[in-house]
Amino acid sequence: MNFLTIFARNLKQGPQTEAFPLGPAFTPDRLRGRIEFKAESCEGCRICERVCPANAIRFAKTPDGMTFDCWHNTCVFCGNCEFYCPTDAIHQTNDWDLSHVNADKFDMVEHGLIPNQTCVDCGATALNTAPMVKNAKPPLSAEEYTELRARCPKCRAKYLKNRKVPA
Amino acid sequence: MSTHDVPETFSIPVGPLHVALEEPMYFKIDVKGETVSHIDINAGHAHRGIEYLTTKRTMYQNVVLTERICSLCSNSHPQTFAMAAEKIAGIEVPERGIYLRTVADEMKRVTSHLFNVALLVHLVGYETYFMHMMQVREIGQDMLESIFGNRQDIGAMCIGGVRYDLDDKSIAYIKGALDKIEAETKDIIKTFKTNGSILRRTKGVGVLTHADAITCGVVGPVARASGIDYDVRREAPYAAYDRLPLVVHSLTDGDVWSRAMVRLEEILTSIDLLRVCLRDLPGGPVNINDRPDIPPGQAVTRSEAPRGEVIYYLRTNDTPQPERVKWRVPTFMNWDSLRFMLQDAKVADVAMIVNSIDPCLSCTER
Repeated sequence: MNFLTIFARNLKQGPQTEAFPLGPAFTPDRLRGRIEFKAESCEGCRICERVCPANAIRFAKTPDGMTFDCWHNTCVFCGNCEFYCPTDAIHQTNDWDLSHVNADKFDMVEHGLIPNQTCVDCGATALNTAPMVKNAKPPLSAEEYTELRARCPKCRAKYLKNRKVPA
Repeated sequence: MSTHDVPETFSIPVGPLHVALEEPMYFKIDVKGETVSHIDINAGHAHRGIEYLTTKRTMYQNVVLTERICSLCSNSHPQTFAMAAEKIAGIEVPERGIYLRTVADEMKRVTSHLFNVALLVHLVGYETYFMHMMQVREIGQDMLESIFGNRQDIGAMCIGGVRYDLDDKSIAYIKGALDKIEAETKDIIKTFKTNGSILRRTKGVGVLTHADAITCGVVGPVARASGIDYDVRREAPYAAYDRLPLVVHSLTDGDVWSRAMVRLEEILTSIDLLRVCLRDLPGGPVNINDRPDIPPGQAVTRSEAPRGEVIYYLRTNDTPQPERVKWRVPTFMNWDSLRFMLQDAKVADVAMIVNSIDPCLSCTER
């Protein structure tokens, strides 16, 4: 293509730069941006904490349960946590707009709490995590899942062992 | 000293921060008039201690860390690292994962080569065409962002396969983008063959003869432009390269123009390889869907990064962290050849010749 053709084409197309902040910026669906944590689907396996290369993810035991914190100012947005999460409790949204004033720098945290509960069987205090039942055969019904979730880890194991599996 | 005793040679510093240099490299150049008579290369301005850091991170964290060694070869590093880990643990990557690795590799090669040749045009002084080439590269960058979620650190690799998958919609999108890049690249090649400004500044400049190239042990497009017909993708196929119609381009002149031309031709080859990959993409899983412990052992793997051959040595022990990770990057082999290329060059060509080896100091000095 000779230069006059490129010139004519560019004249017709207008500027190639984005109008941001006056207009929308190019944001694909798959863009790896801000981390989103869903406490209700977390199994509490803490694999995200182990694979995070920047140590941006921290779990901590508190009197209310287990807290999850992802520090966005430490995060490198690699997506390892989402990739290795067995229950899709962590998701990277395509929200890239993380600019903030310096005073807010300690608030750039995705926070979640896996609360404590009292086991319906033994009355022990345990975390209300999502049960690890990915490989349970046959898959649990919604009712069974709720029943299982209300128990502590020991009683969950018992529940699964005593579960009537149709032959 | 009287005015008549002006010394014949002057010593001028180029870099580490210099308007025309893209990388923090320091050259002490002795000039006689406008001609370079001797050069001293000094490095070490971009050292970040990543080699040490890899021994403090687990294998799975290191896949991300190695990706951040270099932004333009940011796929070759984790891929070669993952290949080494897979070799030690005896992991077989699923067939679809193998093809998707090749897709990610070639996409990065297209944008990396376009970037380097665009910078050459910028150093030639043809700013308008530089802008145009960067805009062509932007098609590739948008493609990377849309498929992988990031323009540079694409995060495609994991130990045991790849982290992304392609569906019909994304395959159609890639094909559309490749068509655009291919047409533009063909025009760029035509311009490089006919444009007077580019030809006058780059033809016969910074020549590295075949003999010197062998002496320096150069790799990648620098070697291929000096008539060394060598490409790791063909000599030691990894990923899916043994199944693909790979054409290795080599030229004999060894000047700046030849190195740019080899890169431009390789863009077209990469586009062909991508099309074949997308056509033959097998079904099945993209990775092993597991996170096995890597047993103690050691392995050496190599791959063809956009700049040339990158070699990884990995030694593991009983801990989750590797005991030693060592990599040899293409720029380490190529920058010694600058002594030959810059000899008797004009001072005005120094930046252009340095750019023609596509130096990447962030991975050389890590």
